[in-house]
Amino acid sequence: MSIARLRIENIDKTFNRTGKPGVEALRGINLSIEEGEFVAIVGASGSGKSTLLRIIDGLLEPSGGKVYVDGAAVTRPGRDRAMVFQQDALLPWKTVAENVAYGLTLARTPKAEADKTAQYFVNLAGLQGFEQHYPHQLSGGMRQRVNVARALAVNPKILLLDEPFAALDAQTREIMQTELLTIWQESKKTVVLITHQIDEAVFLSDRVVVFSARPGTVRQEIKVDLPRPRTLEMKRQPEFVRLVDEIWKLIEDEVRASLKQTT
Amino acid sequence: MRKQIFEFLEQDTRSAALVRLAVSLVSVLILWEVVATFVTNRLLLVPPLEVLNALIGEVKKGAMWENAIATVTAVGTSFIVSVAIGIAIGLSLASSKMLSLTAGPLLSALNSVPIIALAPLFIAWLGLGFASKFVLVLLVAVFPVVVTTEAGLRATDRQLIEAAKSFNATGLQIFSTVTFPFALPFIVSGIRVAWARALVGIVVAEFFGSFAGFGFAIMSASQTFDTARVLGYVIVLGAMGLIGSMIFEALQRRLAPWRQE
Ligand SMILES: Nc1ncnc2c1ncn2[C@@H]1O[C@H](COP(=O)(O)OP(=O)(O)OP(=O)(O)O)[C@@H](O)[C@H]1O
Ligand SMILES: [Mg+2]
Repeated sequence: MSIARLRIENIDKTFNRTGKPGVEALRGINLSIEEGEFVAIVGASGSGKSTLLRIIDGLLEPSGGKVYVDGAAVTRPGRDRAMVFQQDALLPWKTVAENVAYGLTLARTPKAEADKTAQYFVNLAGLQGFEQHYPHQLSGGMRQRVNVARALAVNPKILLLDEPFAALDAQTREIMQTELLTIWQESKKTVVLITHQIDEAVFLSDRVVVFSARPGTVRQEIKVDLPRPRTLEMKRQPEFVRLVDEIWKLIEDEVRASLKQTT
Repeated sequence: MRKQIFEFLEQDTRSAALVRLAVSLVSVLILWEVVATFVTNRLLLVPPLEVLNALIGEVKKGAMWENAIATVTAVGTSFIVSVAIGIAIGLSLASSKMLSLTAGPLLSALNSVPIIALAPLFIAWLGLGFASKFVLVLLVAVFPVVVTTEAGLRATDRQLIEAAKSFNATGLQIFSTVTFPFALPFIVSGIRVAWARALVGIVVAEFFGSFAGFGFAIMSASQTFDTARVLGYVIVLGAMGLIGSMIFEALQRRLAPWRQE
């Protein structure tokens, strides 16, 4: 058997707080993700989804367990992984082109090469003509495309997306979903996507991982066998609707419970 | 027609800003002229034209240059040094929690002391001339820069720092590409306050301990009841303050255009 692109082994995470009891965010997470696979994670708010993504990216150390990329243990961020954050994280004083090139600049890529690569991903994200604009001059959807382009520009093996389309309106979101699929099909990246939208998870992914409420554990993995390339019409097919229903039943109680906790 | 004028004046352009400034200056001059026709005691108030004449007289005598050189060199060097030291202290406070906790309260205590009131003491210690002016200006101008530098660096969006870390940025790269650019507009706002304070500092220092400079000129003119000359030099100082403030404000806008829209 070949080595998985991304293996998550027995990950636990407890946040220690001085003077207060710790918060157990994740417990015993095991996942194995193949090269080129598109995996979506859904779960109630506070179930530790972002925490797991940060651990995979190397931004956060787990309290127990290990993450392996191609068999090598992750200890810190690296160029084999890139993250698109839940909140928009563009540098407001840099132009679109400079933001897309940011990861390359930090890695001391020669300027000519960085510019060329950045231009390629600016075009891929449909932002040509906006290279010299600043983030505050863009719409929310365009900004999020810059975030995705910036992550792709460093040519990572694994793309980590933390609710990348959450802030967008329904129409823009659907367009971005199909664009993301096109990019994924061309680049054949391994993708881990967090989302609150169950239909988004089913539409995009090969497999949906359902988290339980805090502490987050893997409650169930559901294979999505819809054919590719996927089209928006598929969202109305019985098989699609059945999958969305199945997943919603799994998390319904916990989403309701987490709503009660916070309101 | 009137509506158009108002619309033009409300615009956020450089020419509109200049016209606004000109309008308010002219209004002040007119008001001044009117008040001076009622207040006829020339020890209390002289009309604008007499002040202008006094200024021209000072330029012709060469006193204007002499005073300008003394004041500008002292305030200029001291201001630049204050900004450099202020940024350095702000940086070290922001980078070390320990230092911030121990030195922070001391600095804010010092900041709330009216240092300007210590001017006579500094002159007693450092003598008349450059050294006492330099130290007094430094002490009044340095604090705003320290405070805004530390605040700006600490205010940096955590999300941006995390994104940089995600790209494997080194500590120095995080500083140069995220925290420092984020803090820069804050720092410039501190520098703007520092400039205004530096001008007050230099004038007070020159009142007490100097044989040249605008402060000295104001002091000696008021001792001979030459109100025109007093007002003339005050206007020159006001212009220096205004120009500095405008430059730093423009710089601030340039550095943080995303904050305006
Ligand atoms: N730095 C931290 N310190 C302490 N607790 C934290 C920290 N980060 C996250 N937590 C806690 O860990 C839990 C999981 O948080 P996380 O952000 O991973 O949830 P999430 O599933 O991404 O939620 P959402 O869907 O709302 O984004 C939450 O209870 C949160 O309060
Ligand atoms: Mg989250």
